[in-house]
Amino acid sequence: MAMAANWVESEFEAVFREHFGRMVRITRRVLGSDAEAEEICSDTFLKLYRSGPGVAARGTVTAWLYRVATRASIDRLRQNQRRGVGEEIDPETGPEANDLQDPLIRLMRSERIAAVRSTLAKLKPEKAQLLLLRHSGLSYQEIADAMRMKAASVGTMLARAEAEFSTQYHGRQNANKRGTGLQMAKDPSD
Amino acid sequence: MTHSEIDPGMATVRDAMDDLPKSGSVNMDAAWTRLRARMHEASDRKRVRWTAMRTWSLPVAAGLVAVAAVLVITVAPIRAWAENLLSIFRVEHVAVLDISSGNLQGLEGDQVFNQAIARLISEEVTVTEAPQKPRVVADAATAAKMAGFDLHLIGGETPSVLTVRSAISAQMKLDRDRLQSIVDEAGRSDLRIPSSVDGAVIGLRLPAGVVAIYGNCGDEVARWKGMSNGPARDASCVNLSEMPSPSASAPSDLNPAELAQVALQFAGLSATEAANFTQTIDWTSTFVLPVLHGQSSYEKVSVKGNEAVLLRPKGPGNSAHFVLVWIDNGILYTLMGTGDDTTAVNLGEKIE
Repeated sequence: MAMAANWVESEFEAVFREHFGRMVRITRRVLGSDAEAEEICSDTFLKLYRSGPGVAARGTVTAWLYRVATRASIDRLRQNQRRGVGEEIDPETGPEANDLQDPLIRLMRSERIAAVRSTLAKLKPEKAQLLLLRHSGLSYQEIADAMRMKAASVGTMLARAEAEFSTQYHGRQNANKRGTGLQMAKDPSD
Repeated sequence: MTHSEIDPGMATVRDAMDDLPKSGSVNMDAAWTRLRARMHEASDRKRVRWTAMRTWSLPVAAGLVAVAAVLVITVAPIRAWAENLLSIFRVEHVAVLDISSGNLQGLEGDQVFNQAIARLISEEVTVTEAPQKPRVVADAATAAKMAGFDLHLIGGETPSVLTVRSAISAQMKLDRDRLQSIVDEAGRSDLRIPSSVDGAVIGLRLPAGVVAIYGNCGDEVARWKGMSNGPARDASCVNLSEMPSPSASAPSDLNPAELAQVALQFAGLSATEAANFTQTIDWTSTFVLPVLHGQSSYEKVSVKGNEAVLLRPKGPGNSAHFVLVWIDNGILYTLMGTGDDTTAVNLGEKIE
């Protein structure tokens, strides 16, 4: 019985150390916690390990990793949205730690994050993935490789995704404003 | 240049995306240690998996094979792969599912849908036993020895080429949300993937098989080796493929019929039609052969006392071609050639 070839562990570790940190930073943007992002990225590496070194041999391991990890994170985002799972913000850590000590700033930031994620979750997964990759700093060529599309198509696809995001995001904000206004009008204490 | 000076839409997107949190530092050593432990655990499981698969073997999830077949033929990027695979899906019975091609043709042209399926296959399916290049062998005894079962060939005829195809095994972990999103994107959000499928690992093993070529099939050897399309075959060409039944594995609480009903509706059947069809099929032992309405015709015939399906592709120049499919004593036979129904059945009857 011919089984798929196995990775040499040192080579696999080198791939892991080269990409894992960046992958976590990217996927964390749409996931509720660092732990969740690390879980998604670990799952991705486990898939790579099980698939054998063929992906690396074909020179496509970077594109494969970003494609699988970002897609998994978008899928998880959609799942979280359906289940009402929100953002975990730890006020003791992270670059915004000082700001987040202020409850109002913390609340506003949580709402903005929720709005962006909710909008991303409503887009087609491929569009959300495209936005996540682009706004995490990947070049057009890197995106083209990851999404298996022509580099010349990235700009057009990205523009469509951004237009749709913008429309939905504004629509959501306007709906929230209308909702707030209605609530205020009905508030008997006013 | 500030964001507002660029393009309001772009600025909105960029500002919004910039709001998303960024991870703190990752403890690479700790993360690697955890992953390494999972890798070793995965390797241990891999070693014992085949025992479990053989134990479950045929009784379970032949219906899953049919579900896979229905889905597979809708997706252009994997159709070439499917064309080979469809001929070797085998269980104990063959049933035909007549599918309206309208719905599937729409999906065929849907690039996003095709990409989503292709990505799902490439990312979620783990090939545990990779297909090898088909090997041309000198005689039937060698082919039988390599394939591991007794060959039955057309009596009185000598094959011009005998080819052994290797076994293929793969497994896939089902992600209910991901499957649902694909169904949604295909415009069928009315269909709900059962929650019971989430996390289920299904496996499929297709044993090695043999293809015997008779008559003038052009440069069939070159085609098998993927070297070229080769010169055209003529009407004397006959292709006989045979292979033992595949084994499938699935968690015992996964209901193949439930999943099949969704797949059938996805393929264009109404809820009532899908329910009726599902009830008539023993999903643990029947291979459902999907036939696109308008693209092929089919009829039931008998070959060596077994119920067989005779398929004919429609279209100019195709009507004389036939594909005859049946299962006899645990071996699935697929006979392809040119001629009328009697010719097809008589050829099947001559297999010994």
